[in-house]
Amino acid sequence: MQMNHFLKIVYLLIIGYSNLFSQIKLDVSTIPKRVDVYLDGVNLGTSPVLNERIKPGLHKFEIKKKGFAPLAYDLLVNPAQAIKLDFFLNPIYKIKFKTEEKGLVFELNGEHRWDVPFIRLELEAGDHFLRVFKIGEIIDEQTIRVDEPKRFNYYLKKPLTSG
Amino acid sequence: MKRIFNTLQKKYVIFLLMIIVNGCSSFKGPLYPEVIFNNRQPLISVTYEYGEIELILPLKYDAAVPDNILFKIYAQGDTLHPILSILQESPKELLAYLPQGVLDIQNNTNIIKIIPQDINFDPLTVRFKGIRFGRLTLPRKTIKMGQLIVSGTTYLNKNDSLIGGVSVSLQSYDNIIHSTRSNESGSFQIAIPGEYKYADYLRIVVGENLIFKPFIEKLDFSQNRKMKMKIGLGPSDDMKEPLYMTNKNNVHFRESPEIGSETLFLLKEGEVVSVDKVTPGEYFGFIEVSLDNNKLVQLEGWINRTDLRLLTFQNIYKILID
Repeated sequence: MQMNHFLKIVYLLIIGYSNLFSQIKLDVSTIPKRVDVYLDGVNLGTSPVLNERIKPGLHKFEIKKKGFAPLAYDLLVNPAQAIKLDFFLNPIYKIKFKTEEKGLVFELNGEHRWDVPFIRLELEAGDHFLRVFKIGEIIDEQTIRVDEPKRFNYYLKKPLTSG
Repeated sequence: MKRIFNTLQKKYVIFLLMIIVNGCSSFKGPLYPEVIFNNRQPLISVTYEYGEIELILPLKYDAAVPDNILFKIYAQGDTLHPILSILQESPKELLAYLPQGVLDIQNNTNIIKIIPQDINFDPLTVRFKGIRFGRLTLPRKTIKMGQLIVSGTTYLNKNDSLIGGVSVSLQSYDNIIHSTRSNESGSFQIAIPGEYKYADYLRIVVGENLIFKPFIEKLDFSQNRKMKMKIGLGPSDDMKEPLYMTNKNNVHFRESPEIGSETLFLLKEGEVVSVDKVTPGEYFGFIEVSLDNNKLVQLEGWINRTDLRLLTFQNIYKILID
């Protein structure tokens, strides 16, 4: 009986040892730092994550931080000694949008609409597509680039000015 | 004046109430209820680090060390294309670095061929199961000199017929290193470790279990580790009957029958004598002597009758009495 128990322990140790060496060393860094990193739904801790282990195969990384666009990334991990991942989170900027034109409806990225002359928006950094409607018709289309907190002033048929 | 002051005071209170109720948004404008994403591809950097396999094979040498060894490493059962070949002076251990992922890590189909650059050594093969990366130390391998092999047949000189069950031994002086017997068809093969190549007085002794004088020959493996021999036993067909055989060691083979005549040889037990003349106490006859070139010559002489017994070929094997 004791012998069986001993053999079971030895077997588990061998399995554990072989699993240890079948895994890959994992380091995760993020910009910005101190972000919660989730691997396959399990919280690995706050970045930078060092000396974790990952098995070869398909895995899902998720990173969330207030003020940044959430990031989900599926990665097929190849057999290797180590893998290092660097995630650059996309910031969300606070934008003020103002117009003195009357009767306009604004649409951003084909789905977000407003009709007030002054509004505060939270936009992911990068390009956004603006459409302007008047009495149900498109009267203007522009791409606006967001790379910092800004205040946009809209004038009909003129490029957006920031200031 | 007081009325004006009261009106201003009322307006101020209303203004304060507006600020309290609506907060600062009444100045900043409304906040759009959702964060607006543009689904931009995130910037992600993935860096793989591939490890090396440090392969170590400790080596041990028995008796002799070859000058150089060629190591060939094959992976995944492919014995045509080595992944690495190394020629080096005989090392204490083979140390090789292989890229990650080249070895079979499930089965022992990876092979190291050890090929000593010396005719006295035989190539060796080491099979092993690989690892993904890291250090892999294999069990120590002993490199020995190749075996010294003597093979051949045993036959009767009288009629060239093959005889089986004949004892064959390799000896250094009188020390038996290894012994065997020829099989039913008269063939034998005997091997001894290669280090005996340099042994003093290495010889083959055949037929000690036969009634005849055994065949003894010095062996020289300096040129070749493998020898083939056809070993004839017993008297040749040139020996005329009746045939007698010495029945003990140190039998005097004399020049003439007279007492005090010169002894030509001291014969061992089993020496065959072809008797030609008979006197009441002596036999005159011939013995066969092998020269260095394996040529047999007959020498004549006299032997005391009591030292001989009649030879018959009905049973040529010695009868062992426990």
